Amino acid sequence: MKTTGAIDTAKRQLVYEVISGGTGLILALFMWGHMMFVGSILIGTFGFDWLALQLEIYFIAQPTVVVIFSLFLVHAALAARKIPAQLEERRKMIRLGRDLKSQAHEESLLWIWQVRTGMIVLVLGSFHLVLLGIDVLTPLFGERVGIESVTSLARVQAGLWLPYAVLLICVEFHASIGLYRLAVKWGVFSSLGRKTLRRIESFILWLFLGLGAVILLVLAGVIPPPLAFLATGGAA
Amino acid sequence: MSGNNANRRLKFEIFRYNPQDPDSTPHMQNFEIDELPYMSLFMALNEIREKHDPSLQFDFACRSAICGSCGMMVNGKPSLGCRTQTSDLPELIRLHPLPVFKLVGDLSVDTGIWFREMAEKSEAWIHAKEAFDPAAQEDRMDDETAQKIYDSDRCIECGCCVASCGVANVSGEFAGPAGLNRMARFSMDPRDTRDDADWFELISNEHGVFGCIGMMACHDICPKELPLLEVYAYLRRKALTTALK
Repeated sequence: MKTTGAIDTAKRQLVYEVISGGTGLILALFMWGHMMFVGSILIGTFGFDWLALQLEIYFIAQPTVVVIFSLFLVHAALAARKIPAQLEERRKMIRLGRDLKSQAHEESLLWIWQVRTGMIVLVLGSFHLVLLGIDVLTPLFGERVGIESVTSLARVQAGLWLPYAVLLICVEFHASIGLYRLAVKWGVFSSLGRKTLRRIESFILWLFLGLGAVILLVLAGVIPPPLAFLATGGAA
Repeated sequence: MSGNNANRRLKFEIFRYNPQDPDSTPHMQNFEIDELPYMSLFMALNEIREKHDPSLQFDFACRSAICGSCGMMVNGKPSLGCRTQTSDLPELIRLHPLPVFKLVGDLSVDTGIWFREMAEKSEAWIHAKEAFDPAAQEDRMDDETAQKIYDSDRCIECGCCVASCGVANVSGEFAGPAGLNRMARFSMDPRDTRDDADWFELISNEHGVFGCIGMMACHDICPKELPLLEVYAYLRRKALTTALK
C-alpha cells in the first residue's frame, strides 16, 4: 500500500477522469451557446452576419475556435481510453447491451451509441472546426476574414447539409446522454432521481434537435428565416 | 405481475456444456414443460432435471434470494432463478450461465473464485492496527453509519451485477460493481484504520471506480436492489476530495 508509483497512477487516473468529464461538460454547454449563435440565421442573413462580426471584432470567435478544437481533441483522446481495444471485446459489449435493451435496460446500449456517435462527431466535427478555423482566421473563403452568411449558405446548399445533418444528430445525442451519464456518475442532481434526469435529457435532446433542424433548413434555403420580422435594420 | 397464468406450454432453450467432458461441445438444448401456478425458474429447472434430463447442472440452495447461488442469464438478463417467476417471462425462455465466472457445467458457474480474487484485491476486510481483544467492549457506531454499512452488506455475491457489467465482461482486472461496493462498505466503516492515501490508491484506479463507464446495468438488475450508482458516486467524490485535501 501507499507506494509512490501507485499514488501517482491514482492521481493520473483521477485527472484523466475529471478532464474527460470536464471537457465533455464544457463542450456540451458550448454547443448550447453555438446553437444560439447559429440560430441568428433564423432572423436572416443580417442577424447572422451582424453577430459573426461582433464576435470577430471583439476577438471572441478566433480564440474560441482554437480553444474548442483543443478541448474537442483532448476530450476525444481521454474519453476513448474507455473503449475496449479488441473487436471481440466490443462485440461482447454490444451483445450485452442489446440483450439488456430487450429487458428494459437502455443505458448499456446508449453507451455503445455514445461511442459510435462520438466517432462520427470526431470526424465530421474536425472537418467543421477546420473549415470554421479557416473562415475565422484566413481570407481563403468569402470576401473577408471571418464567418459570412453568403459562404455558409452556399456551402450548406452545395451539399454540406447532409454531413451537417448527421453531425447535428450525433452531437445532440452524444452531448445529452453524456450530460445525463456525467450527472449520474458523480451523483449530481441525484435527489431528482434517474427517471427525472432521463426526462430532462430527452427534453434537451429533442429541443436542440428540433432547433438545429429548423436552422439547417434555413441554411439550406428550404424554408425562409422564420424570425425575419425581428430584423428591423436590414434585409432578411 | 407474477401469478397464476398456468396454462402455457413453456419452451426452454438451455445452454449445455460440460468442460470436464472432452466430448462435450457447447450447444443449446430444447425442453418443454407445462407451466404451473406461481412457478419459479427453480421449480421449472427441477422439473426438467427430474422428468427430462438428470444430467442438467444448475445451482440452488436457499430458494429465497439469500444464498446468491442461482444467478443465470434469463433471456439475456442476469437474474436469480429462485425469484424469477415464469409468469413474468415469455413462453420461450433462453437460459445461459453467467458470463465472467468460471463455468462448472451447463448453468452452473463458480462465482467463488472471482469473489475471492476481488476480496483480496480490494482488501475487503477490517484493517485494524491493534490486535482484536474479544473481551473488550465494542466501539459504538452511530445509526446512520451502521445503516449505510448494512445497505452495502446486503450484497449476496450472486454475481448478477458482474455479469451485467460491460467492463467486467472484457477486463479481468476491474473490481466490478460488487468489488466497488465492498470498497465503499469498508471505507465507511470507522473500525477500518486505512487512511486517505490507502483508499485513494485503491479507489482512484482504472481497475477501481474510474474503470466504471457508467452503463448502469448493475444497478438496474441487482436482485437485492443495492444503490450501486450512489456507491460509485460516493467513491468518485471520495477520490476527488482526497486529492484536493
